[in-house]
Amino acid sequence: MARAAALRRGAELRILIVEDDVEAAAAMARGLTEAGHETAHAPDGAQGLDMARQGAFDVLVVDRMMPRMDGLAMVETLRREGERTPVLFLSALGEIDDRVAGLKAGGDDYLVKPYAFAELIARVEALARRHETGSVQTVLKVGDLEMDLIHRTVKRQGREIDLQPREFQLLEFMMRHAGQSVTRTMLLEKVWEYHFDPQTNVIDVHISRLRAKIDKGFDRPMLQTVRGAGYRLDG
Amino acid sequence: MRLPALFRTTPFRLTLIFLAVFAFAAAAFLFYIYAVTAGEVTRRADRDIAAEMRSLETVYRQGGVNALNQQLIERTADGRPFLYLLMDRSGRKITGSIAVSPLASSDQEDAWTAFTVTETDPNGAEVRQPARGEQIRLPTGERLFVGADIGQAEAFVVKIVHALWGAAALMVLLGLLGGLVVSRNVSRAMAGLNAVVAAVRGGDLRARAPVRGARDEFDELAQGLNDMLDRLERSMAGIRHAGDAIAHDLRSPLTRLRARLEVALIDLENGKGDPEAALVQALEDAEGVLKTFNAVLAIARLQAAGQAPNPVSFDASELAAGMAELYEPVCEEKGLEFKAELTPQLSAYGNREFIGQAIANLLDNAVKYTPAGGAVALRARRRSSGEIEFSVTDTGPGVPEADRARIVQRFVRLENSRKEPGAGLGLSLVAAVAEAHRGRLEIDEGPGEVDGTGPGLRVALVLPRPN
Repeated sequence: MARAAALRRGAELRILIVEDDVEAAAAMARGLTEAGHETAHAPDGAQGLDMARQGAFDVLVVDRMMPRMDGLAMVETLRREGERTPVLFLSALGEIDDRVAGLKAGGDDYLVKPYAFAELIARVEALARRHETGSVQTVLKVGDLEMDLIHRTVKRQGREIDLQPREFQLLEFMMRHAGQSVTRTMLLEKVWEYHFDPQTNVIDVHISRLRAKIDKGFDRPMLQTVRGAGYRLDG
Repeated sequence: MRLPALFRTTPFRLTLIFLAVFAFAAAAFLFYIYAVTAGEVTRRADRDIAAEMRSLETVYRQGGVNALNQQLIERTADGRPFLYLLMDRSGRKITGSIAVSPLASSDQEDAWTAFTVTETDPNGAEVRQPARGEQIRLPTGERLFVGADIGQAEAFVVKIVHALWGAAALMVLLGLLGGLVVSRNVSRAMAGLNAVVAAVRGGDLRARAPVRGARDEFDELAQGLNDMLDRLERSMAGIRHAGDAIAHDLRSPLTRLRARLEVALIDLENGKGDPEAALVQALEDAEGVLKTFNAVLAIARLQAAGQAPNPVSFDASELAAGMAELYEPVCEEKGLEFKAELTPQLSAYGNREFIGQAIANLLDNAVKYTPAGGAVALRARRRSSGEIEFSVTDTGPGVPEADRARIVQRFVRLENSRKEPGAGLGLSLVAAVAEAHRGRLEIDEGPGEVDGTGPGLRVALVLPRPN
């Protein structure tokens, strides 16, 4: 499998950017290339569909509004044909309705323009990872941290760590995306399922609580702050 | 060919169609009446003639030709409404009121016939009347003819039919007239509505259709049209307002951003300054502009829509509990005591996302403005009026009563809060959320002065009772 191979080689992913704004696509491609990924570009939905059908992409980044075939129709067609490559929708339409329409059409995530590069890269990598680990896991392991999803227990170096339910969910998300940057917005959306912008950084407080529980008393901190992006859990 | 305006109106066309159907039905009806009554006249005449014939036969059987002859003379003299003719074996008249049998040429034994008689009416004019008759051959060879004039009865039928025709014609005429009146009324009502539509199409959103107070479907339509226009006018005003607001609210931060970039560039050209720091600053500024933009857009959309988008029924205490869970650590971090008092199972109706955001904004503000050592409380409860209330109370400095109405406005930040981050849009969004849900925002004093702090602030988002 090309995909699995790509992931084994490291973080390198093959990403198809379907975006009619050539300049924006070029900037996006540069950002992704710099993050160590390989990109291809299709300027409209019809071409995007052709290229996506030929496969071998790990993630599709699809703009919603495009000439010839819009992103929604393109992804719907792909999904009908059984193509399951994860899709990240980009859109200037940020209402809940638009988001729901995007996810219903078969999108896996939704990012509203304008966005920070760190946010885009984090989400693309998260999608590729999710696709890769399709099997149901009952135990997550990152370094010396171990999470039992059935008994809802967390241990580091064999020592049990007591977590609140939300802290458990937060850590689970971080562990599933270990080694990747996750942004505050991603955490608010995926862990709390809220789609708004809090003025104060509520997420930071939750992360620092979690950090106190999993890193305090251990020689090596696992939960890293990534400047300008968010957080990363390192094994 | 262009028909006159009236003929093109729907009611008039309907009237014409109705009249055509009516005329056809009337014609069929009249024909039926004619057929039935005319037939009845003939049948009755035949029955009477047959009865007279039987009675004359009886006379003949009892007294022979002479008695019959006598009887005929008597009956004619009596003025019985029959025509008689008794003929001898060779067909010559013996006695009777007519000269020749209409069946003279017939050699049938017994026969019926329809014929006409010529009579002289009281004015001396000759009239030909329809008649019916029966002729029999008597055992002794003489022939007897009995007939009756059915002209009068038939004339009566004809008169009735004529009267009915006249009535039908009159009805068609009246119907036509009625159609004209109805069409004119409808046309007039429609003209009023069309004038409004034309005016609106021409750009005049203030045009309104006249409501005549007849409470008919035209009034209903006019009222509906007016309501629609009210709504349209409001949302157009909302959009215009939103456009102004966005332009106004973004101009200053964008100008600031531009100025900073310019200064950074000048500094760089002069060989001083730190390009990375300038870029980081610019990125932060852009981030701030985006946040402001999103907040302004959300407020503007809510105001333009005039109602909560995608409302659903949801558990208000669950939503509040989620927010409490999100903010409790934030309070703790800042050294604030946090308390949530949530009535379980509070069903509310509205846009969950916006209400959630409103609660988050209230909590954000409370955390921001309450000094360490203070307390923040989130409450969700149902008031006795059935309204759902979310309130956030803090022990911060509060807001002087005179300023309370002002802090809801966009970008208003009181002097003593300038040092805190934020664009001053938080409460405006809460107010817009309240308004969109037909609810309200209440701002009061908090728990009062305690140990030199306070009096605190209590802000409540009150949603109307869910249906």
